[in-house]
Amino acid sequence: MVAAKSPSSDEQLVEATLAGDDGAFAELASRHKGRVFGVAARFAGNAAELEDICQDVFIQAYFKLRQYRRDSPFEHWVLRITTHKCYDYLRKRRRSGGVVSADALLESGYEPRAPEAADPHPDLERLHAALAQLSPKERLVITLLELEERSVQEIAGLTGWSAGNVKVRAFRARAALRKLMENQK
Amino acid sequence: MNDMNRDGELEALFALARKRRPDMSAAEFAFETRLMARLRAREETGSIWAMVSWRLVPFFAVCVAGLALWQAETASDTTDAANIAGLNNPVAADLWSN
Repeated sequence: MVAAKSPSSDEQLVEATLAGDDGAFAELASRHKGRVFGVAARFAGNAAELEDICQDVFIQAYFKLRQYRRDSPFEHWVLRITTHKCYDYLRKRRRSGGVVSADALLESGYEPRAPEAADPHPDLERLHAALAQLSPKERLVITLLELEERSVQEIAGLTGWSAGNVKVRAFRARAALRKLMENQK
Repeated sequence: MNDMNRDGELEALFALARKRRPDMSAAEFAFETRLMARLRAREETGSIWAMVSWRLVPFFAVCVAGLALWQAETASDTTDAANIAGLNNPVAADLWSN
């Protein structure tokens, strides 16, 4: 009887990558791409942007792998990079003048999520258009809290903000979102 | 009361957005292959630059040495000129003699 080859742990794959085995990093990317794509899709405007964000995340992970301390799972470390990349992406989009009115966004056929859902829901389109108008920090915190269902502590860990700061930003983001949704009616 | 209604509406929308997670299978397909290709391309570009910059080291070393020699030569000329100028100046000549 041939024993099935036991799959390597993330830590073993990290060690192998650091020793020069790029195949091990491809395996790491394959394992964690689902979570990274899931989070990044909440922020990306289209499929090309989603691909860019996800590639940037894993490229940074590859080049900074020596900085990964084994005190938390590899997935947490990659998700922290993802959160920072998404935030950078939101800031870049805002700087390049990506902030327009919700009506204009909806009329221009704005793509709120990266891959198109089977049948778009009008209320959801309104929500995503309003989310697009929030500041990068507000959008980040409300997306992680309400759409990704992360706890305040988890968000604090992902963003590097204090728990109190996360709560205050979430409260303000919710108020701003409520106002934007009200204005859309 | 109105705020509570709006909060309820927002909660319902969040719940709907959570439930309707888009299908990522097409976007994720062969992601590792594209990623590794990009990493290889980056490493190759990086190694070309490293190779070119190492090859330019002797050239820059010669430039720096030449510049240092020229600087030393110019500095000694300036010191000589200052000494001669001091001797031609009567006030300075007095100072020199004292």
